[in-house]
Amino acid sequence: MPAFAGVDQVRLRLPLKAKLPLRGNERIALAPMIIVTDAEKGRDKRLANVDLQAEFQRFLKKQLEKRTRFELIQTPPDLKLPTQNLVELAKAQEFWASVGTQTGAEIVVSGSLEFKVEDRSGYKTEEYTSPIDGRTYYRQVYVEQTGFLFDIVLLVLDGHTGEKLLQDQFKDFRQTGSRRADELQGLFENLFSLESQILNTFVARDREAERYIFTN
Amino acid sequence: MRKSGSWVLTLLLVASACTSYSHTERSSTQLAFGTDVAKEGHWREAAFRFEQAIAKEPSNARAHNNLAVAMEANGDFARALVEYKKALELEPNNEYIRRNYARFAEFYTSYTKTTGKAASAPTP
Repeated sequence: MPAFAGVDQVRLRLPLKAKLPLRGNERIALAPMIIVTDAEKGRDKRLANVDLQAEFQRFLKKQLEKRTRFELIQTPPDLKLPTQNLVELAKAQEFWASVGTQTGAEIVVSGSLEFKVEDRSGYKTEEYTSPIDGRTYYRQVYVEQTGFLFDIVLLVLDGHTGEKLLQDQFKDFRQTGSRRADELQGLFENLFSLESQILNTFVARDREAERYIFTN
Repeated sequence: MRKSGSWVLTLLLVASACTSYSHTERSSTQLAFGTDVAKEGHWREAAFRFEQAIAKEPSNARAHNNLAVAMEANGDFARALVEYKKALELEPNNEYIRRNYARFAEFYTSYTKTTGKAASAPTP
């Protein structure tokens, strides 16, 4: 809605409190995540050479190191999740408590990752006005598009009791105007757009908002 | 002659001061001044001006709306909610106030959900 005479638009920075009531200097262990993407399936073949687990862990570690004062701990490389079912994983209190004891972490982060690359190329109908007779026709044009869908479920667990403290879902969809768009680039475009929301789980963030004020 | 000239000048200055003072007594002047300082980011001063405007004209929905925005900017969300409600009560069909309130309600609901503060922002 455009502002008219007597009305102005202003920008505010609104605080978003962290979803978890943390002190800010906890020891956080980043545990492996369940990878929902199945590289064996035909539609996911392009993901076979993307190490989703490593890329996401690296991204989360980097962001938390850069923007928070938490002490980040990597879990042992041979740590295996007790289940590939997210609901059961959230309930595996004994397992998470043992991870906490093993690593000395007060908080453990896990969850699930799903990344899909969708070829959305195809024929689309568009309006066309003929320069010869000036009439409007409909014609079929071939449009090349790739869609990237990233679905992240974060599980935050208490390192002492193994209890689930928070479960949150983050979803992002991006579409590019080419057929063979790079999957790694798509993955990071998804991640960068979710960055602020993911960080807001752990630390307070600002959000820009627009409001109308009256000048007279 | 010179003495009478200085008297005239003094009188003119007093008259001009009185005129500008009488302007600040008007709700619209406070509103305009508040808006100017708000646009420069001085939200506390703006809130004070909008409160002055309301004190002079309590039924001014625009002043209540502006005060609500200033309260949001200052982080006093409970007060912002009260002021938005008052503004809507006074001018229920004002599209700008309705839009502001809808955006605020969205923010405030998620804010209270994450902080656990008991407050409800009714649907606009």
